[in-house]
Amino acid sequence: MTTVTRFLRSADELATSTFDRAFEAAHNPWRHLGALAFLCLVLVVLSGIIAYALYDTSVSGAYQSGLRLQNDPSRLGRLLRGLHRYGADACMLLTLLHLVREGLRGHFRGVRWFSWLTGIPLLWLLWIAGITGLWLLWDERAIFSVTATAEWLQALPLGADLLARNFLTADTLNDRFFSLIMFVHIGMPLLLLAAMWVHVLRVSRVRIWPPRSLTRASLGMLALLALLVPVLSLGPADTGHVLQRLSIDWFYQFVHPLVDRLSAQSAWLLAAVLTLTLALLPLLRTREERPRAAARVDPANCNGCSRCVADCPFGAVTMVARTDASRHPAQAQVDSALCAACGICVGACPSATPFRRGEAIVSGIEMPQTPVATLRRELQRKMGALTGAHKIVVFGCRQAADFDVLADAATAVLTLECAAMLPPSFLEYAMRMGASGVLIAGCRESDCEFRLGDRWVKERLLGQREPRLRASAPLDRIEVVWSGRDMLDASAAVTKLRSRVLDLTGPDAHHPERINTK
Amino acid sequence: MSSPLPAPLRYLLQALAYAAFAAVVAYFSSSPLYRQLGDHEAVLKLSFSHSGQLKFACRERSAQELAKVEPNMRNKMDCPRERAAVLVELDMDGKPLYRVSTAPLGLRKDGAATVYRRLAIPAGAHQFNARLADGPDGVINYSRSISLDLAPGQVLIIDFLTGSGGFVFTHS
Repeated sequence: MTTVTRFLRSADELATSTFDRAFEAAHNPWRHLGALAFLCLVLVVLSGIIAYALYDTSVSGAYQSGLRLQNDPSRLGRLLRGLHRYGADACMLLTLLHLVREGLRGHFRGVRWFSWLTGIPLLWLLWIAGITGLWLLWDERAIFSVTATAEWLQALPLGADLLARNFLTADTLNDRFFSLIMFVHIGMPLLLLAAMWVHVLRVSRVRIWPPRSLTRASLGMLALLALLVPVLSLGPADTGHVLQRLSIDWFYQFVHPLVDRLSAQSAWLLAAVLTLTLALLPLLRTREERPRAAARVDPANCNGCSRCVADCPFGAVTMVARTDASRHPAQAQVDSALCAACGICVGACPSATPFRRGEAIVSGIEMPQTPVATLRRELQRKMGALTGAHKIVVFGCRQAADFDVLADAATAVLTLECAAMLPPSFLEYAMRMGASGVLIAGCRESDCEFRLGDRWVKERLLGQREPRLRASAPLDRIEVVWSGRDMLDASAAVTKLRSRVLDLTGPDAHHPERINTK
Repeated sequence: MSSPLPAPLRYLLQALAYAAFAAVVAYFSSSPLYRQLGDHEAVLKLSFSHSGQLKFACRERSAQELAKVEPNMRNKMDCPRERAAVLVELDMDGKPLYRVSTAPLGLRKDGAATVYRRLAIPAGAHQFNARLADGPDGVINYSRSISLDLAPGQVLIIDFLTGSGGFVFTHS
């Protein structure tokens, strides 16, 4: 990881934790940028349907349509126009933030390449949908933008040499122009919705909508903005006069100053280079990256329970007809092209229990680099090497941090690809081996590198999801910390757990309500 | 581990976050103003689509030439489709402002030559002279002059329409 990337990732973590302080982790808007962008798109589409019903697609009527809305005495027109415009602006801003955040987190690599690649056309579609909407108002901003865009397009060797000629004088334009632009303005969002479906196709349990609290507050904010800072048309489009200084919508019309500054050809080159760079990012490999083998199914130990299918965050596991003579009707099958090698499926497998007899235990689904037998052996070895009193075992997520620094004479650290790779039975097993307490440490809450890990861990420990932690497990001796890269947080959690187990006397009490998953 | 903030403070921070986002959206949706033209500048747009003259004259094919082609292809006259490039020169106040020679469009170079150029010029009184050559010899065969007083921001359009006798100057 380069210094710049490390700095930017730290900035992202800082932003995430700052928002976590103001919002709850699960309602942190910084974690729902894509869903918020989608919400804005839906708002724009819905407000656009109403606006279309009120729009006059003629040269003489287009400008008046905008004026009618902004001058509506009931202020409903102002609200409608504001929601449509500010929703579109917010959509672009949120989309860009979503792109930057996912890029910083390296979410263009591995199985996420598909979502990354299919997200790039969305930017272009959104931009086209937005800029054509600004033309429909046919004010001074519109004539400037449509001419500048035509001039920019003319720089391409497409034979559209005289596109800008259509806007030279008022006489050269007819009503068909507005019908055509309306067609594009409506068609692009439809394409956008279809492309978004493809964008999330390989993500299971996708969060399309933001949490309700965020939805309500975001819509309220946009409505308030629409009423307090109304969207206003400039003067009517005038082909005979150019404004020296012009108010433009920088979310979509940024391209015009860019073309003026660079030249049309250079702006195209820049756009092409940026698009290509984004498209090629999935091919980027860092030296630190090590290839991870996909999960592997062992049919002899797979009973076809389909828990791995339910828990896989990328839909890489499916149930298929059995290939052996087992009495179970189905068995799991892993699509290695979709597998992120997170190991969450192992954590979901009922056969991945260390309590099974035999040295070479094999789970129904295994991570080749960390089989369950190896994990058990490592646990036994590290527990055996501990010398201090009140031994603590830390199961740390590799994606969050290097938790090995927590290891000492009384603390053993085992590293997993994801916290949810750990079957709950391992917690009991560690305590059976002599651990006074067990800590699970992972990515920040709602920020799991593999999307769903923290959720599955919580639900399994609280007995809400299979495989459940047994009801008789000593929950007082279990701590979960979503510390991310914050080692102070993780270290404090170890201290807290050790102090708690020190306080515990006599037989372990069962207090489910005291389980700490924060 | 940071302790949770009291609810009123959290709500205040949330409100501030929404307000900051709204402020960014509202501001950049119309600001800052973009300066597309200097305070004392006008705009000149030179734009036309004009087919130059045929580059080569028709000639009669010889009997030997006709014998080489299929009977249905035996056209007596050979008229090459290629057209001449169109040369445009534009002077302002006696000084050259713009000059371009445009090749005809099309794979066989038999289409129209097109020109579109937007220029920022100082506002005020000017004399313009536009000249065009569309023959294969490159000799100027169209010329027109005009004196105008352009206000700041005013747009002057120079078109070329053969039916109107050549250059057409349009301004509001």
